[in-house]
Amino acid sequence: MQLISYPDEDVNKSDYLLVEDQRSHRGLIIQVVDIQFANIPGILEDILRDVMSEESIRGNDIDPLDISSQVAVLKDTKLLVCKIRGALENGRPTHNVAWLPSRISSDISKFPIETIASGSDLSRPILLGRMKQNSSFMIDAKMLDGRLNIVTGKKGTGKSHLSKLLAMSFLDHGAPCLILDVNGEYTNLTRRASGEKSPYEGKITVLTPRVSLRFTLAEIGLGTMLDILLHALDLPGTSARVFATIWRQLEQKGDLTLKSLGEAIAGSDCHESVRDALQSRYKTLADAGIFTDDTPSTSSHRLTERLGAGGAVVVNMKNQSFTIRRIVVELLLSKITELLSHGRLKAVFLFAEEAHLYLRETYWDDIVTRMRHLGIFTTFITNQPDTIQENIYRQADNIFLFNFTNERDLDVVARAAKVDGESVKLLVKDLPAGHCLAIGDVVHDFPVVVNIRPLDVEALGGTRYFFEENRIACTK
Amino acid sequence: MQQLNGSAFNPREVSLFDMAVDDGSSDATSFFTTDDIEGLKTIPLSPSAPSKVVAVDVSSLKIGETETGVLVAIRGAVVWRSDKGYEYVRCGPLAFHLGHGMHAESSLGSVVLGPNQMFTERAIGRLRNTLERWIQREICDSFGESIILFDGSLTVGTPDNPTAHLTRILRSARERANVVAGFSKSTRLCAFGKRITSLVSEARAPCIFDVDQAVTKQFEAHPVQLAGHVYVAKLVEDGFAFRLDIDRNVSQEKCVEAMNRLIASDVVMQGYPETLRLAHIFSTFTANDVIATQRYLAYAYGLRIAPRFNIRKCLFGPFGTLGAA
Repeated sequence: MQLISYPDEDVNKSDYLLVEDQRSHRGLIIQVVDIQFANIPGILEDILRDVMSEESIRGNDIDPLDISSQVAVLKDTKLLVCKIRGALENGRPTHNVAWLPSRISSDISKFPIETIASGSDLSRPILLGRMKQNSSFMIDAKMLDGRLNIVTGKKGTGKSHLSKLLAMSFLDHGAPCLILDVNGEYTNLTRRASGEKSPYEGKITVLTPRVSLRFTLAEIGLGTMLDILLHALDLPGTSARVFATIWRQLEQKGDLTLKSLGEAIAGSDCHESVRDALQSRYKTLADAGIFTDDTPSTSSHRLTERLGAGGAVVVNMKNQSFTIRRIVVELLLSKITELLSHGRLKAVFLFAEEAHLYLRETYWDDIVTRMRHLGIFTTFITNQPDTIQENIYRQADNIFLFNFTNERDLDVVARAAKVDGESVKLLVKDLPAGHCLAIGDVVHDFPVVVNIRPLDVEALGGTRYFFEENRIACTK
Repeated sequence: MQQLNGSAFNPREVSLFDMAVDDGSSDATSFFTTDDIEGLKTIPLSPSAPSKVVAVDVSSLKIGETETGVLVAIRGAVVWRSDKGYEYVRCGPLAFHLGHGMHAESSLGSVVLGPNQMFTERAIGRLRNTLERWIQREICDSFGESIILFDGSLTVGTPDNPTAHLTRILRSARERANVVAGFSKSTRLCAFGKRITSLVSEARAPCIFDVDQAVTKQFEAHPVQLAGHVYVAKLVEDGFAFRLDIDRNVSQEKCVEAMNRLIASDVVMQGYPETLRLAHIFSTFTANDVIATQRYLAYAYGLRIAPRFNIRKCLFGPFGTLGAA
């Protein structure tokens, strides 16, 4: 749908308008996705004439009817390219849009979309930020519950900021969160910007591989260990079977320790190549610093306790190698799955930042199918949208899009099934930093641009600058 | 105009391909031929001392129809070249409602068109000429020792172009040492079986070609009279040739000198003086001007824009939309 807008009408991209048909007493809810100049025939001739008279020819216009002011209005008249998002019948929103309002007898007015997009019954409100009209925009946490979410945008636009906001809001509502933090950005959520303790002190546990993230072999179990060996360390299947035999033998003897496992591998009478393969993997596992024989120092209890109490566990994978990250993620997902399967946890909201850096291929499908049913509700956060598989975009329930200017990135995010690709491309490329386009269940399928509210937490993860003025400018 | 308050009008449809503006720039005489080649001569030109060049053009456009007449807009422009470069004064658009009956009304007051004015199409031409002659007269009274360029010929004696008006303008111009020259963008005058502008195709530019004798013979018994001496001007090589009328009461020596000064003073692109081209550009209506004037009339007089009734569409549906016979 296209509308004409005169210069004195303040309409912006992403604004919602209501086209009310006076005769049928119903209205269409439309969103402005692009603003162009109205293509009036001969406009170029007019502009050329203006340029000519402004620059090289001086003169006077005797214009008693003041037609020139009308021409000026026409020159600045805009064409609003809009998409129909819904309808309003007897004051109630519907998605019945199989009709068109009259071109002649319709009234057009701005529509406060937050009244619909936020939902009428906000049982668990999350204050996301502000809309262009400066009105607060709330979403309901339950619209993220059981859903697959994506937060994406180019570098420095505010993805991690929104992820932190969502995670902290979940904590406010007692929902457990597991945050896979590749840049160490979430480790200081317990501190205010001023450095003082925040209300989240005591609700967030940070686990760092080699430092505070440790498990005994018994806690991990053979299944998880085989997943790590096969998927994170690429152990061949034959070697994996030998490893399983060694593991079971140690279990039967009640001597399943890291030390005894190493000795058993070294002393096994398998083929030399298998033994070498097992020994090299064992060495990697031992060097990872994630496994311990010291039962009291393990993280298993803390993990279970924190998540069980509706807190957050931040897994700080900053400065960890690719292999360590994959081991840690295999281990944690396996552990969480076990806790959920046994009913020791109700559900977990998983925040996976730059998941392609640690998530194996087979997990993508697993996350949108099996794990979802178990109670792992994932939010992917990335600045490289093509690293997320296409089926994730198609099945995502909520997408929070920050600015992208690259056409290829826009093509990828335009695959989201919750909204048409044209809208995504037109709206996202002009988003200022800190603004996101929220799409999906969370906004009741009315795409909304929100200026994400600031957080009172210690800033970590921002770009480190060499030149002082860059740092100051960024702070401002 | 006040009588139109609240009534409906069919606006002119705006199209890039259908914006024929009537500026009266072509001569209105009939198609004549002659085989008499006597009296024809090529006069070479060479740039001389520069002087001021002034050009006048006026355009009119029908911008809509009402049940009782037509809505017309008129605009005039004067452009002159001085030491400071080009300058202009533009007047309009002025809006008029021309009734199918006897009266014409404008947004600025009444304009008397004469008791016999029955045909609105001709009334538009007469309105345009009224404004054009008024501007021309003011210019001739204001400027001195200048070359004053009119758009179109210096033909008089038609109902829309009374002889007295132009005679008075030309006399005023001469009194102030101005030379009035009319450039016609197209002409139907012929001599020796050819259109007069084709006669100079072999001539070396810049030059003017005196065709007056051949042309005036055709008007001896004709009510239409030529107030100008008729030449064909070819001012640049590879440019177009134009019919050029120069005040008949100015000696040919002065006429040639005026043209010498013109080519020394003005940019001549494609054989047409830039000053006159600018006057044309400033006076013509763009699609925006039409829409803006329609919008003004709708606001100022509460006119309702009614869909254009198309008898062909009504009768023939999709088979009658092109308007072809």
